[in-house]
Amino acid sequence: MPRILIVEDDDHIRTALRLMFEGEGFDVDDASSGEVGVALFSRMASDVAIIDVMLPGMTGFETCAALRSRSDLPIVIVSARDETADVVLGLESGADDYVTKPFAPEELLARVRAHLRRRPEKSANAFTLGDLRVVPDEGVVRHSDGSELHLTSTEFRLLTNLAAANGKVLSREDLLEHVWGYDYFGDSRLVDVHVRRLRMKIEPDAANPQYLVTVRGTGYKLVL
Amino acid sequence: MRQRSLRLRLLVTFGLGALVLSSLFATLTYVGVERLLVHNQQQTDLRQSYVNAALVRSTLYESPTEIPSLLDSIEKSTSSNVLVQTHQQWLSRSPDASTSDVTALIVANVVAGHATHQTLNVDGRVVFVVGVPIPSVETQFYEVFHLDSLEHSLRVLLLVLTFGALMTFFLGVAGGLWVSQRTVRPLEEVSEASVAIADGALTTRLVVGHADREVQQLTDSFNRMVTQLVDRLERDARFASDVSHELRSPLTTLTTTASILQQHRYELSAAGQESLDLLIADLSIFRSLVEDLLEMARSDANATSLVLETLPVVELVRQCVRSAARRHSIEAPPVEVGADVADPWVRVDRRRFERVITNLVDNAHRYAHGAVAVRVARAGDQVAIDVDDAGPGISLDERDHVFERFFRGRAAHDRGIARGTGLGLALVRDHVQAFGGTITVAESPDGGARFEITLPIVPEESK
Repeated sequence: MPRILIVEDDDHIRTALRLMFEGEGFDVDDASSGEVGVALFSRMASDVAIIDVMLPGMTGFETCAALRSRSDLPIVIVSARDETADVVLGLESGADDYVTKPFAPEELLARVRAHLRRRPEKSANAFTLGDLRVVPDEGVVRHSDGSELHLTSTEFRLLTNLAAANGKVLSREDLLEHVWGYDYFGDSRLVDVHVRRLRMKIEPDAANPQYLVTVRGTGYKLVL
Repeated sequence: MRQRSLRLRLLVTFGLGALVLSSLFATLTYVGVERLLVHNQQQTDLRQSYVNAALVRSTLYESPTEIPSLLDSIEKSTSSNVLVQTHQQWLSRSPDASTSDVTALIVANVVAGHATHQTLNVDGRVVFVVGVPIPSVETQFYEVFHLDSLEHSLRVLLLVLTFGALMTFFLGVAGGLWVSQRTVRPLEEVSEASVAIADGALTTRLVVGHADREVQQLTDSFNRMVTQLVDRLERDARFASDVSHELRSPLTTLTTTASILQQHRYELSAAGQESLDLLIADLSIFRSLVEDLLEMARSDANATSLVLETLPVVELVRQCVRSAARRHSIEAPPVEVGADVADPWVRVDRRRFERVITNLVDNAHRYAHGAVAVRVARAGDQVAIDVDDAGPGISLDERDHVFERFFRGRAAHDRGIARGTGLGLALVRDHVQAFGGTITVAESPDGGARFEITLPIVPEESK
């Protein structure tokens, strides 16, 4: 049974979410603050986390960064704010997804399930990006000196999906479908921020990308 | 009422005023000076003639043979022509002196013993003729003075006065320009600022520190008015945004618990299930309403949340139509691209543009059995995106109102169609206007409604 961590300070929402996920067969750990959430995660090793942004004490972004530093688990940020700046900030702190309140419960559920479903693709061949060697079978990226470059699972899937397209352009829609597993909840900002994060890791100069390039108006492609 | 330009009126008033005043002044001056000069000249000539006549008389008495040389010296000293008739015989020295200069009337008068003088126009020249009878020697003395030099002076005077009048006229026009600039410019600034503010540039203010007190007062009160207006707008927008924000948390709980109840619906009685369906349906509307209100508050409050990108319109429309169809689980209408479209680019916020297309396609689905087609065509330096349906259309009297907030058309009432939030089309219009475009509703070639968006095409060089 998947184990979900819910960090939310509003008692009513937290209880409702717990009931809903329990009803859907999840093991639920819930915390009313970021500090408690991080402590719970250390003990319980959750499979996925939902974190509210507006928390007393440690903010949702800080909680998210703390969990990310310990694990690759999928993290969904839940926020009352929908400004692009907030979405970007949330995703930059390491979250894989961002949902705005008031959300449709089925949508949140579908997204959490999509995150749990996805596994790194085993089919893709290994390839080289400048100094980097990407080995999808092992799920690792190595520098030429053998040291490992850490990518989150979402970043890794983004990279391997683009590589599997063989230089073809993938639209944001395509990427949402393939990487996030969403059919219709697409928010193109999810893709844009993750692309930026990935560039910071793999590009020699992230401001002038040479591998992961933007095809304006269409989408992204990987130049091997 | 016919509109006239204040600037032009000021200019004409000043110009004409200066022209009339200076012409009047010049005319009066000319007439006065002319009279004075002519009068003086005539007095001098008269006196001179009497003196000359006395000389002629004494010479006739004492030594008549001296007469020719006397006449010579008179003519030389006064630059006139002298004619003397003595015993019916004319004496004249200068070759151009002619008796015809002296009219019969003068001669008759003088012969009758009256001294006479008259101004005559002889062959285009003005002459002053003086006739003096000298009865003691049966002689009449005539002197013809030429007023050429006087005429010349008057012509010079006329020239000077005309030039002066013209100068005054031009000065008047220049003054008019200056005054109209001074008075009309501030009005134009107010007008320009008002237009800018009406178009949404709420940071527009008039420049303070004007030299004229009245203008400064106008500037101050205008700026104060705009500041208060903006404050009020922001307060309203903030209020809507705050209210919606506060609604988010309870609404999240409500929707989540309703969905839990849905999982347990078969434990409920028939009445319980029906109530749950109503609850869930209205919660869904409630949620859309709060989302729309928040989006509206955001687009009201600041333009900074706008993330503009330059994108190729055809591909963008295709993507948006696809994702709109997916989002609402409906069949995607075909995107038809006009032959002349090429591949124009537009400057839009991707998310908001998607919202626009989604709302229009969803509306067509809701009220008109779905969109027949989304058509992209070029219209000059604009691109037109038409969402056409084959539904009942929108009546003429409703077309002006469909973009108003919370407007509900009759069609929606009559046909008991699932309710929308009433904000969808208002949001659509807000977004399109934020991209510098327009949206109108008309009749589609398929018999239903056509929502036509026009967006400015980004020129090739600034892509």
